Amino acid sequence: MSVTILRAATALYTVATAAYVVFFARPRIARAATIGFWFLAAAFAVHAIAIGVGCAELGGQEFFSLRGGLVLMVWLAAGIYLVLQRWYRLPTVGAFITPLILVVLFPLLFVGPEHAGVPPETLRNPSVTLHIVTAVLGVALFGLAFGVSLMYLLQEREVKGKRFGALFSRLPSLDALDRLNQRLVRTGFVFYTVAIVAGTLTAKVVWKSAWSWDPQQVVSLAVFLLYGAMVQLRHTGWHGRRYAVLTLVGFVIVLGSMVTLKSVPGVTRHAGDYGAAARAGDAQ
Amino acid sequence: MSEREIFLVGLSHKSAPIEVRERVALTGDALKAALGELRSTEGVSEAMVVSTCNRVEVFVHAQADEPARRFFTSRAADAGAHLYVKQGVDAIRHLFRVSSSLDSMVVGEQQILGQVKEAYGLASAASAAGSYFSRLCNRAFATAKRVRNETDIGKGATSMSQVAVELVEKIFGDLRGRSILLAGAGKMGALSAKALQVLGADRILVTNRSPERGQALAAQVGGTFRPWDELTKLLVQVDVVIVSTGAPTFVLTRDMLHAAMKARRHRSICLIDLAVPRNVDPACAELGDVYAYDVDDLERVVSSTREARRGEALRAEAIVEAEVMAFAKEREARAALPVLAQLRRHAEKIARAEAERTLAQVGLKLDDKGRKSVEAMAQAIVNKLLHGPTARLKEAAASGDTSLPGAAAELFGIDHEPHEATSAESEERSAGNGAGRASAAASERS
Repeated sequence: MSVTILRAATALYTVATAAYVVFFARPRIARAATIGFWFLAAAFAVHAIAIGVGCAELGGQEFFSLRGGLVLMVWLAAGIYLVLQRWYRLPTVGAFITPLILVVLFPLLFVGPEHAGVPPETLRNPSVTLHIVTAVLGVALFGLAFGVSLMYLLQEREVKGKRFGALFSRLPSLDALDRLNQRLVRTGFVFYTVAIVAGTLTAKVVWKSAWSWDPQQVVSLAVFLLYGAMVQLRHTGWHGRRYAVLTLVGFVIVLGSMVTLKSVPGVTRHAGDYGAAARAGDAQ
Repeated sequence: MSEREIFLVGLSHKSAPIEVRERVALTGDALKAALGELRSTEGVSEAMVVSTCNRVEVFVHAQADEPARRFFTSRAADAGAHLYVKQGVDAIRHLFRVSSSLDSMVVGEQQILGQVKEAYGLASAASAAGSYFSRLCNRAFATAKRVRNETDIGKGATSMSQVAVELVEKIFGDLRGRSILLAGAGKMGALSAKALQVLGADRILVTNRSPERGQALAAQVGGTFRPWDELTKLLVQVDVVIVSTGAPTFVLTRDMLHAAMKARRHRSICLIDLAVPRNVDPACAELGDVYAYDVDDLERVVSSTREARRGEALRAEAIVEAEVMAFAKEREARAALPVLAQLRRHAEKIARAEAERTLAQVGLKLDDKGRKSVEAMAQAIVNKLLHGPTARLKEAAASGDTSLPGAAAELFGIDHEPHEATSAESEERSAGNGAGRASAAASERS
């Protein structure tokens, strides 16, 4: 059921994307931006229903899988963009964000929401919920920063190279994109930090040790340090191009590690195959 | 009485030099007086004068163009050689093109529409423009709006200082809190600095080899003068540098910028080199966060804008042509309507009279229902008979054929008055009806 609703949401996202792309190509059609916004808002609402129904059906176990995490991330990214659009009025940015949403969401439509095995009772506590929500929120913000950085770099190339093409007349100023990127990274880092703390506390209880060199822990620490460094570098004057490149690299690492750690079975205990653990427990 | 027509007599930057234009240009009370004069001329029912620094054009709804011509020749004897005269659809097209900024010196500039609106407002307030000009001008303004909305004719920068401003805005966004360094005392530099200041840049610093000229320029643009040997230090402080010195060599070198960028912690800097020969080493642009542009770069943007506007102008012309044709058609249709109305009134009068006569003769033998049937039959005959002629008259009017309405009047023995609408319009105007919309609505009914 939740998959069907998610498909409906995807259809709405597709319309929103098309409208934003039309607006980008023909800025005179101001109505396209409005249509894009409202379809995105509708998609966000339907997506919320899909997540709620999914929770009711599976009791939250879907969020222990990569699919569940990404579904949640895309939903939050769409929500954040809707808020940003209300604050800053950047309709041309929609043409960059909505396609990213579709690219992430589309493959998920063909995967079932069921997780391999039911997570043990020890994982059913508020600190895990906090860990999941803040981690996904942080990554969603990093994802939006990725989109904004991409816009910055593409436009910067035009401005510096004296080729004043389509982007030049449509995108916000370099300074505005740079500052938006910085804000997204900073806010994302705050949530990511909370996620790491909550995760460490959970590990101490469930894995009996706060730090056990689990690959997920190593990667998360690296990402934490990278974005932490970016927040610090900002204070020493880093900005613009180099900052945007770092933002791109950071998100590629985040997304790449998420996919890699999940697709190699048994490499991490983090949100792993609880079915196998249960079976092993039965065997003993 | 010959038929009234719209005439345009005028001169513009295309036909007359400034020496002639300035002698016939009018503003304020002089313009009002001229409108009154035109209006009181025999045979002129409406008049409007568009007077800007690039054009002076007199539009009249009159029997001949002579009164409008006299407007010019009485003010400048030699104006006659520079005049262009247009009539009917050509005059309408001209007004539509002017309003849409297709006839401007810089095609697509924004001011002309406001100027035409002002001209109409003045003519209307002086009771010189009536319902005809009201319809005409409202259509012209609507056309200009369509052109602006449906084409990109107003897009892009058309002067070098405008391009400089656009670039700076693209890089820094909001200019509040930004500072500008003006190096050298070139005129273009001062213009651009002024433009940036208008957009909200807070601080203008001026530096020049000769302190006297530098100080004078600083006073002129409202900036602060700083000695020339502080240049390297100033590069660290400011966001935009506009360079326009007469020096034959590079005033800003790559090494200078390299050092400055370090000291700036790589905050972006925009260098605009307006000097020829160039004052900024092009190698500066290789450095990160340095955005450097020279005269050629700016000129390229200006010419690409012009190129783009030429393309857009073609699309705009098509819009104007469609609007002109639509307006002309409506005008013709309007001219045919009085005949139609008269024809119908005439026929209905006969039908009613005949029905009454018949009823009076046989009336006693008929009940109410029968009476109604007779009346309905008379009316039906009128409708059936007039259906064909009505359609054909409307068709003829729409295609611009004015002979058929006259022939119809002749044939049916109606008193055809082609100027009925015109005389109604002048009554409206003498009643002081200046509001465009109201008089347009009134004429729709007439």
